[in-house]
This record gives sequence, structure tokens and C-alpha cells, in this order.
Amino acid sequence: MKTLRVGYNSCGIAAGAEETLNKLHALLDGNSNFEIKKTGCNGMCYLEPIVDVIENGKIYTYGGLTSDKVEKFIESLEKGKHIDDWIILHPDHSTAQLSYQEKQVKLATKNIGVIDPENIDDYIAAAGYQALEKVLKTMNRQQVIDQVRASGLRGRGGAGFSCGMKWQFAKDAPGEEKYMICNGDEGDPGAFMDRSTLEGDPHGVIEGMTIGAYAVGAQVGFFYVRAEYPLAVKRLRLAIKQAEAKGYSGKNILGTGFNFSLHVIEGAGAFVCGEETALIASIEGKRGMPRTRPPFPATHGIWGKPTNNNNVETYANIPYIIREGGAAFSKYGTDMSKGTKVFALAGKIKRGGMIEVPMGITINEIVNDIGGGIINDGKCKAVQMGGPSGGCIPAHLHDTPIDYEKIMATGAIVGSGGMVFMDQGTCMVDIARYFLSFTVEESCGKCTFCRVGTKRMLEILERITAGEGTEEDIPLLQKLCDSIIKGSLCGLGQTAPNPVLTTLRYFRDEYEAHIREKKCPAKKCKALITYRVVADKCTGCTLCARTCPVGAASGERKQVHQIDDLKCTRCGFCKDACKFDAIVVE
Amino acid sequence: MAIKVTINGKEYEGKHGETIRDVAKRNGIGIPVLCERAQIDPFGSCRICLVEQDKARYPVVACAAPVFDGIVVNTETELIKGLRKLDMELLFSNHFADCVAPCNLTCPAGIDIQGYVGLAANGEYPDAEKLIKQKVPFPGILGRVCPAPCQKECRRNLVDETVSIKFIKRFISDINFEKGTRYIPPVAPSSGKTVAIIGAGPAGMSCAYYLAQQGHQCTIIEKLPKAGGMTRYGIPDYRLPQKELDAEIAEIESLGVEFLYNTELGKDVTIDGLRRSFDAVFLAIGAHVSKSMGIPGEELDGVYQGIDFLREVKLGKKFDLGETVVVVGGGNTAIDAVRTSLRLGAKNCYIVYRRSRAEMPADPIEVHDAEEEGVQFHFLTNPVKIHGKKRMEAIESVRMELGEPDASGRRSPVVVKGSEFMIKADTIIMAIGQEPDVSCIGADCKVRTTKWSTFMINEETFQTDIPEVFAGGDAMRGPCTVVECIADGRNAATQIDRFLKGQELTPIPGVYSVQRGKSLKALKALEEEWKHRFPTEPRAEMPMLNPKKRIKSFVECEMGFTERELRRDAGRCLECGCFSQYDCELRQIGKAVGAEPTALKTKGEIRFESDLRHPFIMKDQNKCILCGACVRACDELHHVGAWGFVDRGYVTTVQPSFGVALQETDCEYCGTCVQN
Repeated sequence: MKTLRVGYNSCGIAAGAEETLNKLHALLDGNSNFEIKKTGCNGMCYLEPIVDVIENGKIYTYGGLTSDKVEKFIESLEKGKHIDDWIILHPDHSTAQLSYQEKQVKLATKNIGVIDPENIDDYIAAAGYQALEKVLKTMNRQQVIDQVRASGLRGRGGAGFSCGMKWQFAKDAPGEEKYMICNGDEGDPGAFMDRSTLEGDPHGVIEGMTIGAYAVGAQVGFFYVRAEYPLAVKRLRLAIKQAEAKGYSGKNILGTGFNFSLHVIEGAGAFVCGEETALIASIEGKRGMPRTRPPFPATHGIWGKPTNNNNVETYANIPYIIREGGAAFSKYGTDMSKGTKVFALAGKIKRGGMIEVPMGITINEIVNDIGGGIINDGKCKAVQMGGPSGGCIPAHLHDTPIDYEKIMATGAIVGSGGMVFMDQGTCMVDIARYFLSFTVEESCGKCTFCRVGTKRMLEILERITAGEGTEEDIPLLQKLCDSIIKGSLCGLGQTAPNPVLTTLRYFRDEYEAHIREKKCPAKKCKALITYRVVADKCTGCTLCARTCPVGAASGERKQVHQIDDLKCTRCGFCKDACKFDAIVVE
Repeated sequence: MAIKVTINGKEYEGKHGETIRDVAKRNGIGIPVLCERAQIDPFGSCRICLVEQDKARYPVVACAAPVFDGIVVNTETELIKGLRKLDMELLFSNHFADCVAPCNLTCPAGIDIQGYVGLAANGEYPDAEKLIKQKVPFPGILGRVCPAPCQKECRRNLVDETVSIKFIKRFISDINFEKGTRYIPPVAPSSGKTVAIIGAGPAGMSCAYYLAQQGHQCTIIEKLPKAGGMTRYGIPDYRLPQKELDAEIAEIESLGVEFLYNTELGKDVTIDGLRRSFDAVFLAIGAHVSKSMGIPGEELDGVYQGIDFLREVKLGKKFDLGETVVVVGGGNTAIDAVRTSLRLGAKNCYIVYRRSRAEMPADPIEVHDAEEEGVQFHFLTNPVKIHGKKRMEAIESVRMELGEPDASGRRSPVVVKGSEFMIKADTIIMAIGQEPDVSCIGADCKVRTTKWSTFMINEETFQTDIPEVFAGGDAMRGPCTVVECIADGRNAATQIDRFLKGQELTPIPGVYSVQRGKSLKALKALEEEWKHRFPTEPRAEMPMLNPKKRIKSFVECEMGFTERELRRDAGRCLECGCFSQYDCELRQIGKAVGAEPTALKTKGEIRFESDLRHPFIMKDQNKCILCGACVRACDELHHVGAWGFVDRGYVTTVQPSFGVALQETDCEYCGTCVQN
């Protein structure tokens, strides 16, 4: 009897897992030699669809198993054979892809890609809800908080505030009626840790949050999840229902008299609703707009009641901490940053996916060992950490160990875990412009510095990338950055200038090249580049002329072709099409 | 229980539950606020009340931050001042509106044009004149001869044509003379101080007008037999009748200003002599010396200099111009000279100009009127030699072509080789420019002059190197417009007044205003929208004397508007300047924190159409600073919630949900939103 476990998170489905699964069912339904299961994503998004074959306690992981390969795959399995070329992780020997997993330590994500997220029994079988039971039956509220404090766990949403302290504030806040929030409003471009966690192991998050509710004395909890994550919402709602049915949630949990009811609120996609006061306003049915603090949500949260708010990953760590003890968690990591951190690898990296690594690992280890380097064997130029609130860390600082303080010293932040890698072909001014354009649209529009200030900054960056920048622009950008940080109402505005500040700090020469020489060193900014045919290399094959969507490239067969600079839109199709490297960008 | 609050180093008592702003306010410590409203919860959006609090990482908003025992607050640190200034500049950069109308901002004398046009539209002519006279003493003169730069910036141009700002001013002047309702300002009791003003031109007389009102005894010393300067001796009667001029000069005299005619600086009086007899001296001698072309034959009979010619005609000298007159030059003096020649009986009158029509500095209306009268223009032509025995007979000229733009941005003319040709003529009048005669101050005078032969001053104080000697007008700028000279006269009067009172001569502040587009050109994109929004209503034409008739005499050509034309034209004003400009908190705070209204450049401002659908409540999103006071008041005070924030990011607006009209919501017409 073989179990086939299909990675069935959004990433897998996007890569074709649904077709693969359907094919498997079509071929195997009624076949008692095979059992088909769904699971989350094991993190190797770059190789989806992924199917694990479990036989005799051994797991063979197949990657890239699109539906067209399924017949051959089953044929082979039925003969008792494996197709080694398709196996990305082998139980008996090392594989090229093994290095992706080797340096990882999975505490928060250990069940993802292993259990069926839609089946609570799978979760229970994997030690699920043991921590909750331990808490409710053997620990008092302060003991729970003490364990969490001992673990050194810091908020994984980005700010890195001590989770134990936060719980303590909420516990100590006067009032009987208290609330818990799980912030799943993941909005950073390139980040998908929360989605993958909620899709792959919803019970883990529910358990962590319920333990927190017990500790702070809350009776009601809200999951705030973006509506753009329909699968996460669906699995979460199902998981809550299953947990209630089994007595792990709702009234009189595990017969202990502890009540905690959970609700899922779908966010409408405003980035700012990740900010806790905006998120609370949104839950209350108001416009998602931050308010001034103090008072803080720990004392004045939802409907003015004490409220504790943590990120998905923070809660996902709790069951492990309770089961194994705070010390087990804190043995990983650095002095100030304990445990592990989940990251989403994106951008110009060979292996894009989700990883969980011990704090203290260097960026270089992530890029080279886990990520397999930069695509096309390029050179890494920088990594953007922390999304629009974070910054670009240049390659020469990639031996920095990942730790809240050390990353902050570079000007970036650990953030919620998005890591966007850039190669030499990335224009850093353009990157700063991109992140600013994001903030300009996602600012709630309330306070002046964020609403208008970021727009003025964006206009300057647009000027610079269009070759219209002036010498005064850099000092003006610096001034705006400084004032927006100090003058904005909430974290969104206070961190919005970071991408600009870090690129100015590490890539000032690129800004200056745009302004002074009207050149884009990365050859990215359309206003500052031209496409030209190298006469010696052009064979007159006419491919560029046929590819050009605007008729800018032209020429007679077997004659050297030309590109009309006035018509050219710098789309680069001709360069990609040319087989003789006869088109250059200048 | 009282708690200890330290603000700016001083200890105060506070109570739990109070904000920093509460304690500061009670103790008279000013913190600017915009979004704070007494009965509504603090919002903290405007950020103008930011203060530093020693326990907080970043500045906090005073309107919302609670005090606690031992709190230390600083409200006026460099950081806070910088943030407040930038905060206002950001708000202004996004304020698609004009505090002060563009016409007013463009006027060199800063006349409240929107104000007087509005009063004229209502028939309140004496008040209109009074308003004009806050800035200029001569509405009648300016209403006739001003080149009206305001009209070029008039936003009505986007819809059809400019409002007839200049003609409206003339009408106001004329009707008040006619009805005896001219405005004569009150004069303060004598200060015992005396001022000598050299030159009875627009600058000198304006200076006297404003100084006299402060009680200072002014004596105007004039070389020529009558007052008016260039307005009398440079502008022909058909543009500015002497009786209008006399009437406005008489008003200056009526304030107690003394005129000494036929008295020349450097001959009859000296600067040092005047310094001994007067407490201050204002040099406004104008620019009455013609620049010579320096070509052979200038000594022949029948060769005149433009400005000398115009002056001598006024002084009654008879000229024998012959049949054909050629005037050289492209400015207003050239046009005045050629039209005067026509009126003196010359048959064929030509303008010869070395550049093309587009480069002519003359007012296009003047050029048009001259053409109507039969003047012919020869462009790209330049005289090089005047031929003749005793009297000139012909002008040798060359053709020119336009080359590269010069420093002034105009393309400079280049001689076409071998293009020499002759123009037969009896008289040539050269009107290529004027400059002041600064030699009158005497060789050893400490007043310095520039290489353009003008007086050098401190531009902020109008003082020459001798502190009690001031200068302005053409004599300081070189030839310029009447309105610029009047502005100089008035500003110099302000500084002289301060000087006489022993006050500091601080710079005269410019107009503080945000701008909806820096120029008419910058708003070109709005043209279609505006044509649609405002009904077209072309400008009334100025009734003119028939050209054939008018060249027979020096009678004024422009006959003036009728009252009906006037009222209709004044009603065309779009009222660009803000209704709230005098009590606008934003403007007041902006000034107070030293914000520069147009400091931050923007590209593609967001523009909104005003929402006029509600019968009583109008909303102009262009001026909204998103303080949310209306939204909050409607929700928190009345629990109606008719208003809300719509969209997010930079394009956030205040509107009822789903863009419905306010009256379609639960709006109770209570007006709380407007009050807040």
C-alpha cells in the first residue's frame, strides 16, 4: 500500500496540482494499493506540483509532476519502481535539491506539506492539540506566559516585540471582556508565509491562538485574513468547525470550562489593515484607518476592550513552545532573536519557496545554500527584506546573520519574512520607485506625511528614472524620508521611506548616474536606454523585425537591420528574440 | 490628582486624561492645530500639532497624546519646526487652488483685481476705486496705458478671453470723476518730517501719495514744466488725454504734496543740499535719454530721437516731418512716435524693426491700432547709414535674419550679406531705447550707479549707499512700465516711512498664496474641461474712434465702456481667489510656520470638480486637507454618517459612499459638517 501525498496549497494548484490530483484519482480510484491524500506545500514552490510517495515508512518526493507525467509515474510505481530522475528528495541518498531542506529547522511549519490540512485527525496524529490540553489541564495563565517569555519568541509580524510581554500586558489589562486577533493580512509584495501556513496547517495556528486566549483571558478571537486568500479562509473555517466538533474550540474546551470562540474576518485587501489599529477598526466595521496610540490595543482594542494581536507565524510557534518548553525553542537562534524564522524566497532566486531557518543564519547561506543562487547563474546584487517597510541589503553585507537587531542595523528589517532577491540587471532606483508606488497606493490617506509625502517622493523617483532628475533631488528625498519617518501616524508611513533610504545608502552611485549622466547602470530605465543593432553580428534573419510589436526594428532579408529609436518602446522583445546577440542595450 | 508636566523647560500641573494640548492651551503655550475639534475625538491626521515627548521614539501629536506624571514635552525644537514647515508645504503642494487670484499675483503693484472687478460688477464704484488706491494712486492712468500683464494670466482665457481688467479700472476712474465720487484718502496729522522727491513721474508721485497719507510733508522737484513724467511727456494724448492726467495729479496735490516745476537736480538743487533740508530723498528721475544707434548721418536734419520727439511735441514744438517718416524700433515708444507722426500730418509712416513681429516688445493692441491707422511695418530690416546733404534724404538699410536665441530668449538678428537697399524718407525717428541720466547727482555723490546707468539700491530697502536717499522707478530699473514704477514708489514710501519713524527696514513681504498651476500655460490641460464648465461669453469690445478720423487729431481713441458693457464684463470674472483667504487657518498656520506655499514641485496634481449638487452644501475637494472634521462631526455628533472617506492612498477623498449626492444620504441639512 502506497500513500500518494499531493502538495495542494495555492502555489501547487497554480503549478497544476489540481490536474495532477484529478489524473491520479482517474487512474487510481478503486485501486486499493494506493491511497491519495492532500497536503500543504513543503516549501519547494519552485518544483510544484509535488507528490510524495510514502511506502514502508519511506518518503520519496517527486517534483514537477504535472498531469502529463502522471501516467508514466503510476505505471512505474505499479511495477514497484521509482523514476529517480523525477525524485527531488530521496529517503536513501542525497539529491541535488536536498540542500534546500538541509539547513532548515521546522518548528512552526513542521506539519505543512506533511498532514492533510482539511483533516483534524491528521493534525491530532501529529501531536496536535496536545499543547492546548497541557495548558488547560496542567498550567495556570501566568505559567503559560512565563513559558512563552522563556522561549524568547518575538512577534513575527515584523516589529519583533516580545510575544510574552505582549501577552502579559493583555493579561494585566483591567477588564473581563478581552479579545484575540490573528493577523493574517499579509500584504508585502513577495511574501506568502502566512498564506502557506494557514493553508497548510490551520489547526496549528488555532491551537497557538487558543493557548494565547487562555493566557490573556480572552473569550473571542478573530482571524483577519485577506479575501485574496480564499483557500486559506476556506481551510481555516473548516478547521474551526472541526475543532469545535472535537471540543478544542468554542464552549467548555476539553471540558475545562474555558470558552473561546473563533471567527474569520476577510480583509478587503488594504495593506494598511496589517497595522493593528487599522485592523481593529476594520474588524469593528469601520474604515481600516490607523489611529493614534496610546491608548494601545492591549488596553483599548476591539470595541475599547483589551485585545491581543499576533501574527500567524507567532501563533504557529506556540504549540511547539508549550509541548517542548521555552528552552527547547530558545536553543535556536541568537542572543536577542530566538528560535526560527519563516521566509518566503522570491525574485531572481533559483529556488523560490518558503523556508524556516534558525535565527542567526546568514543571508549568504539562504541565497547560496538554500536558494541555490541567482537565476541564470547571475550575481546577487541585493535582497529586499521586510517588503515596502524594509530595505535593500547589498550583497557585500550578505554575511550578516539574520537577527532583528543586526538586520535593522543595515537599514532593512526582518519583517514578516519576505525576501526578494535582485540580480545585477535590477535598477535600484527603479526598485525604490516600485516600493514607493506601492505605499502611495496603500497609504490609508489619513495623515499628511504619508499621504502626500510619499507621493512627492514617488514623483521625484519618477523624475530620476525618467532622466529628469536634478542635483537637488537627492537632498530633497533625504529630507522627505526623514520627515515622513518622524511625522507619520503609523508604522506604514514611518517605514515607507526605508526602501529609498537603503538604496540611497548603498547604491547612491546609481542615483547619481541617473541624475548626472542620465544613464541607468542596470540598463533598466526605459527613458535612459536605447536598443541598437550591432552590424557585425546581425545576419539579417529578420526575426527582430518580425518580433517587434511596434515596427521599430526593420531591415531587408540578409541586410543589417536597424531599430528606430523614436518608435522603440524598449520592450526588449527583439533582444530576447535575436539568436546572434546582435542587439545591445546602451 | 495633579501630575507634573514639563513643557519647554517649565513645569505645569496636569490631570489624568488630559492631552498635551489641553495643558499647553490652559497655560497659553501655542501649538498649531488643524484637525482638532473641541467636541470630537482626536484624529491626528494633520500632524501640525506634533511635539517632542522625551519618552517617545518619534514626535507625538499634542491633540491626542495623554499627559502622565513626569512627562517632558518640547513644542518648538528644530525638529518640530522643520516637520511643521514641511507638513504645511506638503498640504500646500496638494492644494489645487489659489488663495489669491492669479491676476492679482501677476500685477506688479499687487492690486486686488478680483476685489475691484467684483465691486464693479455690483456697481460699487467708489469702493472699487478705494480698493485700487490701496495699491496705486492712478486708476485713470493705468486704466488707459497699463500693458495689463494680469490679463495674460487671467484664467478666463481658458474659457474664452480675458476679463477686461484694464478697461474696468478705467471705467471706475471715469465714472467716479463724472459723479464726483472720487476717493481721496485721509491724511494723518503732520509727522514733522519732510521728504524731497526728485521727479514727478508715476514713481515719484506714488511715493508722495503714500507718504503724505502718513503725515509726511513731500516736495516733488520736477525738471519739466508739468507733472506726469513719462505719462505726460512720453505717452501721446490720444492714448492718455492730459485732462485725465491733470485730474489725478490734482488729487496728489490735494493731499498737501508740493510741486516745484522747472527745477533740475544737478543745476538748481543738489543731493547734498536736499539732504540738509529734508529728512529723506527719493530719486525717481525716470529714463529720459534716448539711446543712440551710432550710425553715420545722425547729425543731419530730420533725424530725431523717439523719446525727445514725443516730449517736444508735448512741449509745443512745431515739426516739419515731410511726407515720409520712418521710425526705427519695435517698442511702445516707436509705436507712439509713428502714430504721433501720422497725426502731425505725415503721409507715409513706416516702422522699421530688425527682428520679426513675434519679437516686438510693443503691446500687440498698440501695433494693431497703428496698422489700422495705416502704419506700414518693415520687419527684419536695420538702418546702417543715413544719407543726405543738410536734411536727410534716404536710409541705407540691410535685411536681417534670425539666428540663435540670445540671453533674453529672443532670436538675435543677423545681417544678410549684400542685402543693402535704400529707403527714401524725409524724417527718421530712432526709438531703440532709453536710459536714465544719472550724471545729475554729481560726480562726487556717494550714490552708486550700475553699468546700465541706473541707480544702485539695496533691493529690500530701496536705499542707495546714502541711507536717507532712496531710489526707484525707471531710474533704478531702466525703462519699465508705469505700473512697475508705481509699485516702486509705493514700496519705497513704505520703507521711507519706516526710516522716518526709526523702524527697521524689513523686506516687504510678497503675497502668500498657493497656486493652482503656476501659469496659464501650465493649466492648458484644463481648457476643455473649463470650456465645458463655464458658458462662453466673449469679452466686450472697446469702442474705438474711426481710424480715418482719429489720425486727424490727438483725441483719445478708446471711448470707454458703457455701464452695461462694464457690468457684463466684470461679471465674467471666475473669482479664482479663495473666499476664505482672509480667515483661512491653513494660510495663517502656513505663514506662521514659515512654509513656502509653492516649495514642493508636483507633477499632475489631483484635480476634482466641485460638488455642487446639494442645495446648500458645496464641497471643493481641491482644497480638502482630509482632516475628516466633517466626516467625524456628522458621525460622532449627529450619528448620521452621511460623509465618509472614499478610496485610499494619495487619491483618498471625502464623499458620501458610492459617489451619491449628499442629499441622497441620510443628511439632515444640519450644516454641522460645514461649521466644522
